[in-house]
Amino acid sequence: MTPSVFRDYLVEMAILCVWQYALGCLVSGAGARSAGPIGLGAVVNTVVPDGEQPFSGLDDAPVEATVLRMMLGGQLRRLREAAGITPDRAGYEIRASRSKISRLETGRVGLKSRDVKDLLVLYGVTDELLVAKFLSLVRQSNTPDWWTKYSDILPDWFEPYLGFESAASTIRSFEIQFVPGLFQTEDYARAVTRMGRKAAPPGEIEERVRLRLSRQGLHTRPVPPRIWSVMDEAVLRRPVGGAAVMRAQLTHLTEAAAMPHVTLQVVPFSRGGHAAESGSFTVLRFEEHDLPDVVYVEQLTGAMYLDQRSDVEQYLEVVDELSGEALTPDATTGFIEQVARET
Amino acid sequence: MSKTEFDTSVAHQARMYDYLLGGKDNYAADRAAIEAQLEIFPDLAFAALANRAFLGRAVRYLAAEAGIRQFLDIGTGIPTAGNTHQVAQEITPESRVVYVDYDPVVLAHARALLISHEAGATDYIDADLRDTGNILGQAGQLLDFGEPVAVTLVAILHAIPDSDDPYAIVARLMDAVPAGSYLAISHMGTGLLDSETRRGLEAHSGRAMQQRLTARSREQVTRFFAGTDLVPPGVVRVEEWRQEPGTAADGPGSSALWGAVGRKR
Repeated sequence: MTPSVFRDYLVEMAILCVWQYALGCLVSGAGARSAGPIGLGAVVNTVVPDGEQPFSGLDDAPVEATVLRMMLGGQLRRLREAAGITPDRAGYEIRASRSKISRLETGRVGLKSRDVKDLLVLYGVTDELLVAKFLSLVRQSNTPDWWTKYSDILPDWFEPYLGFESAASTIRSFEIQFVPGLFQTEDYARAVTRMGRKAAPPGEIEERVRLRLSRQGLHTRPVPPRIWSVMDEAVLRRPVGGAAVMRAQLTHLTEAAAMPHVTLQVVPFSRGGHAAESGSFTVLRFEEHDLPDVVYVEQLTGAMYLDQRSDVEQYLEVVDELSGEALTPDATTGFIEQVARET
Repeated sequence: MSKTEFDTSVAHQARMYDYLLGGKDNYAADRAAIEAQLEIFPDLAFAALANRAFLGRAVRYLAAEAGIRQFLDIGTGIPTAGNTHQVAQEITPESRVVYVDYDPVVLAHARALLISHEAGATDYIDADLRDTGNILGQAGQLLDFGEPVAVTLVAILHAIPDSDDPYAIVARLMDAVPAGSYLAISHMGTGLLDSETRRGLEAHSGRAMQQRLTARSREQVTRFFAGTDLVPPGVVRVEEWRQEPGTAADGPGSSALWGAVGRKR
């Protein structure tokens, strides 16, 4: 195979995967399990035990709804590009902006059947059966997520993160100030939340703490994602919530580090300056071969979601370099215990 | 030997291999190098899968049939499914594996992710294959060189040019382990590639990769096994070595890699 043929082949396999996924949802065929060489089967297999009909569990599995949204979005992008249509033109067709198209295509917002129907017509997809399958998948991708009940306190720029986090197979992060949310104790989470919202009523603070703790449910999944966090030593030294809260938090971190799906590493002050001039960030990776990594960078009033390979690669490089500079996971546990004794 | 710089702007064999195996821990330069090499040698993707499958079969043979409990895996690559310690510890949980590589990206991933079964142990050494004194010194902390050790050099010796005397490197490693130890090698083969393709790959690697590739003949690869008895079927293409039907390497294509396992006399 020449490179271009190889590339075409990858794209073709990716499209085939979505359609096999589609077929699996509509026709309960066992053949849909072997969804080609690209890793779709892997994620599906983690939620569908042997002997059950494939894909039948989608209704009560928000994880798959997010993945499905991303895959359908990616498929819409490929169809649009194949038809030679610009994002502006596509946006015009569904009475939306160019950036709305981008959010649709990256799975950051839900898909509306009417929009998808219009886009498919624009992209020249006329086969009624295919359109019907696509729309059926769109309905499934709109299954309410577990965090819907927190919508009052959830900024709209944070909601996509929850979808990506719950769909990710690997979550890598670098933190310069706070313990990663997935490892915070309740008291530590409360202290952090209060810090940022001094005027908020107590009820809202508690709601935010509950949301943060709910995210930690992914630790107890049958197949949890791999969570690999690199922290600056400052994270361990800053006594958020006071010494007692911090000591308990540090003990909690050493317990977390013992979980098989968790890797924690600390970059000690003694290493001097390190590779992350960027500040804190998170890289979310998905099992599916054709879903790109997403980098999440949070700011005070919004967040950036980067999924262009050229952007993602710079963050990957930083996180790879930091992981190499940081203490090994074993040495990190000893280091955290030492800091706990000094706190 | 100085530490390798963290440099993702020049293609590295470990990350190119990751790309071919469907991983996402590779960079633009690695992918560009693969695209260029696929142009020269379209079976490269097949070769990567066949090589990975060979490693799995060799380690399974060593753990299950040869009774090996200690592994020195040089040229680890970026962790993926079926790493040496996983294959070995599935058969013998107390297996000990020391990994060696010199790519900083491999270092980051291997130290964090190559986590042993409780009963066994893994360690990671950041060193160049040429630095055998350093490798053997550090590996001795986890491995007992009084007992047999399997040394695996999978798709790495072709990155050592003749000027660095790869035969002396292998000899130094095998001198450090007792009789009954094993050597497993896969290696880009001259007899398996037409000369134009071989020259194309060697020239491309010289231009675009951190490693310059040197293909070697079947006889030259056999010479690495001096002082050992070759396990049947001897030196063959990796996909032919103790082939199990239905494995990933089953299929059309030719890996152009020689593979063999030998037992030290």
